[in-house]
Amino acid sequence: MDRLKIERVGGFAGFGGPHLKSRGEVAVSDLPAADQKTVDSLFADPNKVPAAHPGQADAFSYRITRGAKTIEVPEHAVPSTIKNSVKDVLE
Amino acid sequence: MPCTCCIIPNDVLTRLSQDKKLSAVVRKQLVDTVQVSHELREMRTQAAKLTNVVAARASGMVTLAAAPAVTVYDCKHTQTLPGTPVPKPKTSSDASIKRTFNQTTKVAKFYQQVFNRNSIDDHGMTMMSSIHYGEKYNNAMWNGSQMIYGDGDGSIFVDFTKGNDVIGHELTHGVTQHSLQLAYSGDAGGLNESISDCFGSMFRQWEAKQDVKKADWLIGKDIMGPAAKKKGFTCLRDMANPAAKHCLAPQPTKYSQITPGMDPHYSSGPPNLAFCTACTTLGGYSWAKIGQVWYNSLTGFGPTPNMTMKAFAARTRQGAQTLYPGDATVYAAVNAGWTTVGL
Repeated sequence: MDRLKIERVGGFAGFGGPHLKSRGEVAVSDLPAADQKTVDSLFADPNKVPAAHPGQADAFSYRITRGAKTIEVPEHAVPSTIKNSVKDVLE
Repeated sequence: MPCTCCIIPNDVLTRLSQDKKLSAVVRKQLVDTVQVSHELREMRTQAAKLTNVVAARASGMVTLAAAPAVTVYDCKHTQTLPGTPVPKPKTSSDASIKRTFNQTTKVAKFYQQVFNRNSIDDHGMTMMSSIHYGEKYNNAMWNGSQMIYGDGDGSIFVDFTKGNDVIGHELTHGVTQHSLQLAYSGDAGGLNESISDCFGSMFRQWEAKQDVKKADWLIGKDIMGPAAKKKGFTCLRDMANPAAKHCLAPQPTKYSQITPGMDPHYSSGPPNLAFCTACTTLGGYSWAKIGQVWYNSLTGFGPTPNMTMKAFAARTRQGAQTLYPGDATVYAAVNAGWTTVGL
């Protein structure tokens, strides 16, 4: 089954560090068609992953892994279904 | 850089425009909206370019307002920006709204009184904040135009507007954008984050009238949730002791410990410690002299997006001598700060 592993990193608190993690997983087939299309286009050409807004700071970005490939996408370009799949935990 | 954010995502508009349950008229309007939105985003990208061009010529520009307007918007737990405008935030019954308005107004006063700076752009631009962003959103940010605050999940973090250092930190990202224009990766990213921690902490100390000894030098102390506190975390970062166990986000203490690709919230550790050490070495109030040296280094020379920490350290050493030629203790304190972290 084609699954996405998602890790949310960055932000004011520095998620992705030793104690703060935010992870999720979702089956591509569970995504709405439009979101599947967005994911496909993001992975098709990582050079076309949208950039962060000029001057932006403390925003989250999402490391999305599909198979052997991982891309990092700024939050504003990530579909809500994927954003909502992560859970913040303290380790 | 292309700008792709929009209030209604394009994929939603496109999907709706193909929904046969809607009338042909409505579907055409949705297609038109996609096209108009594209042009608006192109305009926004151009606006960002205009900001850079204008900033380079700022000395000849007219001031927008003597003191900035402060506006607050309520996102009502959506991620739609800017949200619903709050008509009278100063007297709102919503504590987050009232606090955001009051603290942002105080940060404006801090910059005006301590650094003679008129708002984020030094020309009186409106200071805009959106609160109740998202659901249980564990973050605060500056998006290039405004501040955004989440409510926290109530477990790891509480409402991010509860930290006056958080509000000072976010607003300072705007100041950096309109001055040194530091990038958000590498040395420059760590400096960008450190400058926001330095000025966020200075604002917190100024508001409490604390000298460098009374200050706790903690970032994020007031937004720690019960789960974080239960595990012994008292803050996100500690400028006096970046690697401390009580930090939820412990940082390196030496420049040599910074690794390629490190999150700027971690690579900010050494410059944070340098600033804190300089302040505590000199004594008194952090904003009186060391803060002035840092402000001069941030705003006195125009943009350097890829500034290295070594270059910034050199600039502050030079600044200490230029700004305080008759006081060798200022240079000595700045030098002690950077030497401590290996720069």
